[in-house]
Amino acid sequence: MSRNLSRYFAENEWLKPVLGFIGIFIMCIIFSPVSSKGNLIFLKFDNLTNVLRQVSEIGVISVGMTIVILTAGIDLSVGSILALAATTTAFGIMDWQLGFFLTIVLGLLVGAAAGFINGALTSWGKIQSFIATLAMMTAARGFALFISNNNSRNIGFGKGAAPESFRIFTTSYLGIPFPVFIFIIVTVIFAIMLRKMRLGRHIYAIGSNEEAARLAGLRVNWIRTAAFVFSGLLAGLAGIIHAAQLYQGNPNDGVGFELDAIAAVVIGGTSLMGGRGTMEGTFAGVLIIGLLSNILGLHGVQKDFQLMLKGIIIVAAVLLQERHWRFRFFRKSR
Amino acid sequence: MLEFKNIRKSFSGVEVLHGVSFSVARGKIVALVGENGAGKSTLMKILAGIIPEYSGTVRIGNQLAHFKNPRDAERAGVSIIHQELNLVPDLSIGENIFLGKEPVKSFGRLDFRKLYRESDRVLKEFDFPFSSKTKLKNLTIGWQQMVEIAKALRLDSQIIIMDEPTSALSENEISRLFEKMQLLKSRGKTILFITHRLKEVFEVADEIAVLRDGLFLGKYPINEITREELINLMIGREIPDRTTSFENEAKAELLRVVNLEASREGAKFLSQVNFSLRKGEILGVAGLLGAGRTELLKFLYGELKARYSGKILFGNVEYQPRSASDSISHKIVYLPEDRKTEAIFPDASLRFNSSISALPRISKFGFVKTEQEKNAVNEQFQDLKVVMKSVNQKIPTLSGGNQQKVLLSRVLLLQPRLLLLDEPTRGIDVGSKAEIYSLIARLASRGAGVIITSSEIPELLRVCHRILVLSQGKQTALLNVPETNPREILSYAFKQE
Repeated sequence: MSRNLSRYFAENEWLKPVLGFIGIFIMCIIFSPVSSKGNLIFLKFDNLTNVLRQVSEIGVISVGMTIVILTAGIDLSVGSILALAATTTAFGIMDWQLGFFLTIVLGLLVGAAAGFINGALTSWGKIQSFIATLAMMTAARGFALFISNNNSRNIGFGKGAAPESFRIFTTSYLGIPFPVFIFIIVTVIFAIMLRKMRLGRHIYAIGSNEEAARLAGLRVNWIRTAAFVFSGLLAGLAGIIHAAQLYQGNPNDGVGFELDAIAAVVIGGTSLMGGRGTMEGTFAGVLIIGLLSNILGLHGVQKDFQLMLKGIIIVAAVLLQERHWRFRFFRKSR
Repeated sequence: MLEFKNIRKSFSGVEVLHGVSFSVARGKIVALVGENGAGKSTLMKILAGIIPEYSGTVRIGNQLAHFKNPRDAERAGVSIIHQELNLVPDLSIGENIFLGKEPVKSFGRLDFRKLYRESDRVLKEFDFPFSSKTKLKNLTIGWQQMVEIAKALRLDSQIIIMDEPTSALSENEISRLFEKMQLLKSRGKTILFITHRLKEVFEVADEIAVLRDGLFLGKYPINEITREELINLMIGREIPDRTTSFENEAKAELLRVVNLEASREGAKFLSQVNFSLRKGEILGVAGLLGAGRTELLKFLYGELKARYSGKILFGNVEYQPRSASDSISHKIVYLPEDRKTEAIFPDASLRFNSSISALPRISKFGFVKTEQEKNAVNEQFQDLKVVMKSVNQKIPTLSGGNQQKVLLSRVLLLQPRLLLLDEPTRGIDVGSKAEIYSLIARLASRGAGVIITSSEIPELLRVCHRILVLSQGKQTALLNVPETNPREILSYAFKQE
């Protein structure tokens, strides 16, 4: 029985992180503070949507990060790309008067272009992605500061400022904030891409064995570049959400977001060696981080302690993902 | 001296050893034979402490020997030499011998004097013609393997396990290896070696232990069993001698190579290559190790970015090899020699591994048509007799022979016009070999052209219509199979300027 089970786990990698998420969710319910009326505060609709809203930016970035990591690469530039896109969004809608649609296209294009440069440097320039994206991380931040003249740009509404349509990012539908929809839609789209599309297979293939992928006739350089373009594009999208939610484009924002995204991807069971992992897992990973900081926040636990706990969670998650560990655990308990 | 008793082992729910029991006396050379997936490697990995979890007992002398890791086993006098050598090319022989167990002086400084003195002593004992300060990368594969053996000697191992020690060696390297094995035996060492080459078994072994499908079938002294008996025991069925028919009516020409000369970074690796290949023809490429067999195939596949002169006609049109993906679009496909590093996707399922190259054909708007994919893959797997539980299991859970069949299905799904097979039967059991060869013959009879390399000449003679012989990158002969023999082929392979 346990053998079949472990085989099932091996063939369905998304299962462990999703079970982890469910486990954490249940724990959150158990440890939820209770309101004076006797309700569980954690389970309140507003609280749950709040969790989702808070993770949606990191979530969107993590989707792109997952794709890059699956190809056995890494993208350190997403935090800076977010800041750059947030800055161009604020300037686009305010100073350059591009209007709603063009501003968004601009933000996405900026992200995609940075991603393309990352991909090209890695693929054709044969620079390790760690180095190439480290360079982009620095350069994109510098470019954002250059555009904004080292200041953040506030977004206001009215004549000569942002159109009312730009408020859509801070609205809710059925009580669910707009950025949450974006996060979920993006996750679903790329989950389908990985599972059902040829490109998805190719991404797994080059992460699993690049040499074999090339000999099997895959256009490895283009596939890897596509992965970085997705990552840049989604970081750009996160930047637009970021600016629109804060009514501000700040070139100094997004510092360290790349590491939060990597943490979510790793907790979601994706291997940094590439070739192994799922979008479902990353979704669970993002939510696990969100739930934990939420429940700790509800109990008034301070940031210092939260960060220490997050470190522990990352290690624990990775240890639990290791199949052999799991396997031995089963065998001994028998 | 060494005793296995009722050894059982399962991998993810599949039992691969069903209670193996036998014993080996001290100072014997024992060959372990059996088809792929018979459990030979698993059994040896258990002995060497690489697989610590199993049921049953292993005894050495009268001591229980349940090793938790290879280091444990080494301490108890058991060393294993893997098919892929575990050596560091940039270090010297001596440093490799002591790798991980270096002698140190105060402050953790390496005691190089002791290291080289000890290494030289071991090498001398072993009639090794190099100083222990020689860099490993300056040795041929054959001598590198000797370094692995020297490593075992330094540890004073009493039991030495060799996993397919000859698969990468040339003929004279093999005979040198056998000499050394006899030398070790005369010093009372016990040697267990896994091999797929029966000729070698009869050359060097004292006893043969036969495994089939995880069962131990018996251990035979070498003079009490014949080759035919052994083969029948291993596979339990007859293999036809010749798989390819010669009733090859003159079909249209598929590929013509005229005066091909190719060089990379100034070094010429192919010269005077001239041949033509008709549809339905199987051309063998023979040659010693490093003669340029793999290079010829990879060059035709567009994998080697090389300057070349001469002419290549494919289907009567001038053809220029550009890249793997370009070749595939021309229905020229290549099966790499090295499964592990060049072909399999270890994280992925059998289905994934099989269909990856053919996805453009079985997808629409970029989406993979899963049903069609499943059917295509299943059909191939049935055809190739892949032994598996499900198409969703990960490829490393299969034995080498079955992995190779999955990879063959990958190239077959492309419906190739020209199939380039680089050592397709390397490290594969006799049964799978026969199946793969009959498959190649069938494919050719449907009109594909096949070029195949092998370091085993009898195999080429069994399956090919013609054989091209390379020596140091130069074509030295193009022989018709019914009129040639291994001796002639070898003499061309050794031919030098």
